[in-house]
Amino acid sequence: MNRIYWLKNVRLECGYRKENERVTGTITGLFHLLMEDGRITKIVKDGDAIRDDLPVEDAKGLLALPSFIEKHVHLDKTLMGDVWRACTPSSSVIERFENEKRVLPSIATSTCKRAESLLEILLASGSAHIRTHVDIYPEAGLQNLEQVQQALAGYSNRLSSEIVAFAQHGLLRSGSVKLVREALRNGAGIVGAVDPATVDNNIEASLVQLMDLAVEANADVDLHLHDPGHLGTFTMKRLAALTKQAGWEGRVALSHAFGIGDVSREEAYELADILREAGISIVTSVPINRQMPPVDLLHERGVEVSVGNDNIFDVWSPLGNGDILERAGRLAERFKWIDEVSLSRTLGYITGGKTPLDDKGNQVWPKVGDAGSLVLIDASCSAEAVARRSERKAVIYKGNLVSGSLYKQKQSIER
Amino acid sequence: MNEAYWLTNVTLESGFVFENERIDRTKTATYNMYIKNGIIKDLQLASTMPLKTDGPVHDAGKLLALPPFKEMHNHLDKTYLGLPWKSCTPVPNLIERLKLEAKELAELAETGQLRAERMLQLLLSGGATHVRTHVNIDPYIGTKNLEEIQRALYRFKGKMTYEIVAFPQHGLLRTNSKGLMRQAMKEGASLVGGLDPGGVDNNIEASLYEMVDLAVEFDADIDIHIHDPGHLGLYTIKKLASLIDEAGWKNRAAISHAFALGDVSIGESNELASELSNLGIAIMSTVPINRVMPPIDSLHEKGVHVALGCDGFYDSWSPFGTGDMLEKAGRLAERYNWKDEYALSQSLQFITGGVKTLDHEGNRLWPKVGNDASMVFVDASCAAEAIARRSTRAAVMVDGNLVYGGLDRESALKSN
Repeated sequence: MNRIYWLKNVRLECGYRKENERVTGTITGLFHLLMEDGRITKIVKDGDAIRDDLPVEDAKGLLALPSFIEKHVHLDKTLMGDVWRACTPSSSVIERFENEKRVLPSIATSTCKRAESLLEILLASGSAHIRTHVDIYPEAGLQNLEQVQQALAGYSNRLSSEIVAFAQHGLLRSGSVKLVREALRNGAGIVGAVDPATVDNNIEASLVQLMDLAVEANADVDLHLHDPGHLGTFTMKRLAALTKQAGWEGRVALSHAFGIGDVSREEAYELADILREAGISIVTSVPINRQMPPVDLLHERGVEVSVGNDNIFDVWSPLGNGDILERAGRLAERFKWIDEVSLSRTLGYITGGKTPLDDKGNQVWPKVGDAGSLVLIDASCSAEAVARRSERKAVIYKGNLVSGSLYKQKQSIER
Repeated sequence: MNEAYWLTNVTLESGFVFENERIDRTKTATYNMYIKNGIIKDLQLASTMPLKTDGPVHDAGKLLALPPFKEMHNHLDKTYLGLPWKSCTPVPNLIERLKLEAKELAELAETGQLRAERMLQLLLSGGATHVRTHVNIDPYIGTKNLEEIQRALYRFKGKMTYEIVAFPQHGLLRTNSKGLMRQAMKEGASLVGGLDPGGVDNNIEASLYEMVDLAVEFDADIDIHIHDPGHLGLYTIKKLASLIDEAGWKNRAAISHAFALGDVSIGESNELASELSNLGIAIMSTVPINRVMPPIDSLHEKGVHVALGCDGFYDSWSPFGTGDMLEKAGRLAERYNWKDEYALSQSLQFITGGVKTLDHEGNRLWPKVGNDASMVFVDASCAAEAIARRSTRAAVMVDGNLVYGGLDRESALKSN
């Protein structure tokens, strides 16, 4: 695409429509966006004349939303692009580990190839930023990291990414500290670990080791905490204490965090305050087969929450389709967010908090100077997009069309 | 399509591959199928019997055939499909929701046929060829919705079969709707519906009695929506069971939602499950994710017939829902951690009216010579994959006729 062009006839949200003080809908209008060097440098209302002869692309009235963020995916695990296989039942997470170690190397297609297949799907759903975990353990060494890096390199002009060096088999249990350190020196920007109790069997030592690695490499943290009930909440409290001790506020994420959903509402409120003060965010895949963290409560208390797909067709789950907007819809369904404002606000969980309107209905995105990264979607507003899982027609990343197309109607573009 | 023809290159499940006595994957084979007057008259393994015919031939391009799906709980009269986007208004309870719905019933009734047709097309494109729809019978619009829905269903004649439940959404007793219900039954509704005898009608015994009475009067089956939770719902279900027994209405009643079965202890729900099974009372579930749901796994194990539905969706109750029964089955599998080949493959029966492709030993149960030539063609290697991966529906066939999509894999997938 051109370095500079007009994206015309883009539908943007302008405010909420109110009847008797209650929001009943979203007001939108058509605008033309000037895309320049990957940024939006001018926004003019439809009807205002464009006085230049720059190239023009036509969004034909499609709604623009800020591009989505896939906050939890395992590019190294997916079977996408390979033949169908169901999961083998296993009695414990440890058995699942062993099974995965056995199966993945036996698959004909390469990790890189499968990661690419999944990236294509994620991108088509509107995700232009991806946080991927890559398993680091002795048997695999840094292979997963290298393969995923190779896949991501091919996508570097189409999406941004961050890689978590993830000690899936236990930082302590599998003796992977050295390897994780090496991964952090070789391009992984985040350090990840799993269940300090159930997997590592030593909560304190596991957490201290994790934070040590983070501080040493100046890396963020993403801990996958499935440990349930009070075992989980105890671990969270210890992580919060260690986070503050290290001055790592704003740099730590807890994935899953099932424990908060298991304890009482009062305990969850207390924990939410602790997490907020330690600047720890929560990443959830919105599971439906067990209790999940009370996202409404966490949000109310100012804890940052985001959504990720997690396992997509791998040895852990045969399900999952990589559509992050579908996950947002599931989140809304789960918490009965069915009115215009609640649905509209749900978008923030898959955009890093970025929404076209703020909670009062003021237009806050896009602004001149914002990155030209957006999803063009066949919907009348964010609320509809979330509830109806509307069709993604095109994804634009830093001004470039990276998925879908703008010309599906086969009409000529006026120049 | 033609009255008689060969449908070639149809992939059918043919067995399981066992590893250490565990079902590891599904075997398939390619068949040629002779279809005459809407019936499968012959099935030949493509590899062993080269097709010799002068008659018409259609190529299924190795797409997998599955039994067609049944959408067993819908409200064709309620959906907003076809209208501009509209979100919902949150309410504190069911009675408030009913009041809100009442306000827009008259306005919506004007577009009933159009909205219902949009829903039917959506269901069909997902592979459903049968729909059980509830239709509001209430004092606000009388039987107006019934007429609109009948018109829409008529337009899908030959594509979808249906059952219409006369549904006293605003309470059989609460809105004194027995007269209207009678009228609806005379005008073409085939089942008698009911709703929360406790929470809505405020008189469990009288409400249940009147409903069963209507069913007997019209020799009709029953589908009652019981959202009433915990022991209230449990008591209601028990009471219903005894009335069903008294009336001799075995195998003729269904309970939709039945949330209570998920609220009480597993001991209590198991006890009731045996009774439901003996009386042939089915459970219809939408697989809700925002509250406890009935234990479908143990109900099924106890022999209770369980079927899934989308419920009314994209209406004044809920903005969500896709009408895709295969997605619904996938959600059920996800909810119960059914992730191995056999468990996934078995979850299909909850959307096919109990039809399974293979039994536990891997013997083929469907399709058989003599079956209706009604099937869904899916771009998948087996039923387990279709459910887990929500595979693309390429075509839907009813009684030998293509009613959605196309058999040419490339063009079919593109047209979606």
